[in-house]
Amino acid sequence: MKTTCKAILLVEDDQVDAMTVRRALKELHVANRLEHVENGEEALAYLRDSEKERPCLILLDINMPVMNGIEFLQAVKAAPGLKRIPVVALTTSDEQKDKVETFELGVAGYMRKPVDYQQFVEIIRTIDAYWTLSESPA
Amino acid sequence: MTIGTQDILIKHNARWLMDIAADAMLIADADGHILMANPAAERLFGYTRDEFTTFTVEDLIPQRFRASHSDKRADYVKQPSNRTMGTEPGIVGFRQDGGEFAADVSLSPLEEGQVLATVYNITRHKQAELALVAARELAESIVTTIQEALVVLDADDRVISANRVFYRVFRLTEEETLGQVFFELHQRQWDIPELRQLLAEVLPQQRKVDAFELQHKFPGIGSRTVLISARLIEGASNRSALTVLTLLNITGRKRLEAEQARMIHELKSVNEELTNFAYVVSHDLKAPLRAIGSLADWIAADQQDRLDAEGQEHLRLLIQRVRRMDALIDGVLRYSRIGRIHEAAVEVDLNEVLHEVIDSLAPPAHIAVRIAAGLPSIWVEKTAVQQVLQNLIANAIRYLDKPQGRIEIDCADQGESWRFNVADNGPGIEARHFERIFQLFQTLNSRDRVESTGVGLAIVKKIVEQHGGLVWVESVPGQGSTFFFTLPKTIPKTPKGEAK
Repeated sequence: MKTTCKAILLVEDDQVDAMTVRRALKELHVANRLEHVENGEEALAYLRDSEKERPCLILLDINMPVMNGIEFLQAVKAAPGLKRIPVVALTTSDEQKDKVETFELGVAGYMRKPVDYQQFVEIIRTIDAYWTLSESPA
Repeated sequence: MTIGTQDILIKHNARWLMDIAADAMLIADADGHILMANPAAERLFGYTRDEFTTFTVEDLIPQRFRASHSDKRADYVKQPSNRTMGTEPGIVGFRQDGGEFAADVSLSPLEEGQVLATVYNITRHKQAELALVAARELAESIVTTIQEALVVLDADDRVISANRVFYRVFRLTEEETLGQVFFELHQRQWDIPELRQLLAEVLPQQRKVDAFELQHKFPGIGSRTVLISARLIEGASNRSALTVLTLLNITGRKRLEAEQARMIHELKSVNEELTNFAYVVSHDLKAPLRAIGSLADWIAADQQDRLDAEGQEHLRLLIQRVRRMDALIDGVLRYSRIGRIHEAAVEVDLNEVLHEVIDSLAPPAHIAVRIAAGLPSIWVEKTAVQQVLQNLIANAIRYLDKPQGRIEIDCADQGESWRFNVADNGPGIEARHFERIFQLFQTLNSRDRVESTGVGLAIVKKIVEQHGGLVWVESVPGQGSTFFFTLPKTIPKTPKGEAK
């Protein structure tokens, strides 16, 4: 991913899923730092903390306790300073309803977490490749 | 005028009067001998004037009435008087040609026991009377047979008549009902503001009211829902207008409808719950499964040096089982999703659909898939027919065990429905498994030999049955199987709005 931007924010409550992302990024030699929070509320707190580095990408799980991915998206997309940060939903759900709902809330992508780890690596590779090429507003 | 009329009679005699009279006239003596008959009588009975004078009056009535008639005539002679029409019912005339007719006779005594009899042919009156009786009987039988309570009111809302159903349903007797004001009946059970308004205001304007639903607690009977229809019938000549009310007790039907609505609602929510359940469960099962899969994969990769061959084999099996469970969960999801989304029927070219399906399945070179020639274009939900064919053909390919595999697909018009068949020369299925293979998660092979979730045929069955069709299999073990399914023909609809 762009070296001008440092952090990727991972919003994920499942510890092993978070490890999977971390491992896959490492395997692909993605240099960006990974910031991990466990639900939407923590993610909002992170984004509103001026001390913290603003992420260039948010990887978002949908099914989470306290504040789920949909609620987080609603809050983020309503906040003028945050809505330009690209969000990729990374989730278990294959439901059409969930896809429609997240796209209506302006996600940049929707990826289904596969059971097979190697497939997961491929998904992260795709995300990495896209955000290396794609221009984002500074 | 008066003078003119007198002038006419002065110029003529009684004979002339009889000759021009339109009605048949006879003069008979005290013994019944006919002395004179006029031309109208000749026309009515068919005898000549001279023939009449050889008859008695009994010759002009049928044989069976003659004896009683001569008695009556004898009585009359003793006390002669003017007798007008309608006094003596049931008189029958007997013509020269043997024909009979309904008759009425008026009598005027002359001198010396002689009588002038005027004979009228009342056949037409008689027929009209019979028709009237028949009409009344029909009306009465309808009123007594219908399942609706019926009550007729006069202009003052007094009950003129009511049928048995009315008395039974509203627990009234004829005595306490007839002649009474409708609204005052039985503890004023009908004194209902809506009904009063209906009869006093709506009915005079609209002349008729149909299916007005009224719910009311009737004293001593309980709450009833009644469907009321009313007709205002104009009074003929001097009769005032009548109101005919029909009252259909739909309390039971209403209760059933409410019960049915409640059950449908319950069924819907249970169904929805079940779908959500399948979704939530599979979703929640997947997260830990994914963790198991990832961790196993990492152990296999990171600890490769430390694991012996057996340990590596165990990990391989573990990962394989994770994938299998993943496929099973996906199967549950796919199965529970069927029928949640209905598409509109479209015209589908079966030839095209089958080519697409076969291309997507990419059968190996040793299997020849043949589509019957001249398959029709039919109106169906495309995805449904596609999924069914895809599952059946995929199964045929997966299980084929012959060096030269053959799969043939055909479709036949069965009038009301289309019948499809997918035939293969694979291993075949024993008859005792014919039912079982269509059940969820049922497979006939060990999953380690043929990787299968046991969802495909269950999905086929669910889709086909949801479309009102049937699915079955015929097979000779060792030689092959043919799967059949039917889809009822749908009427092509003009595209109008979206299908739900």
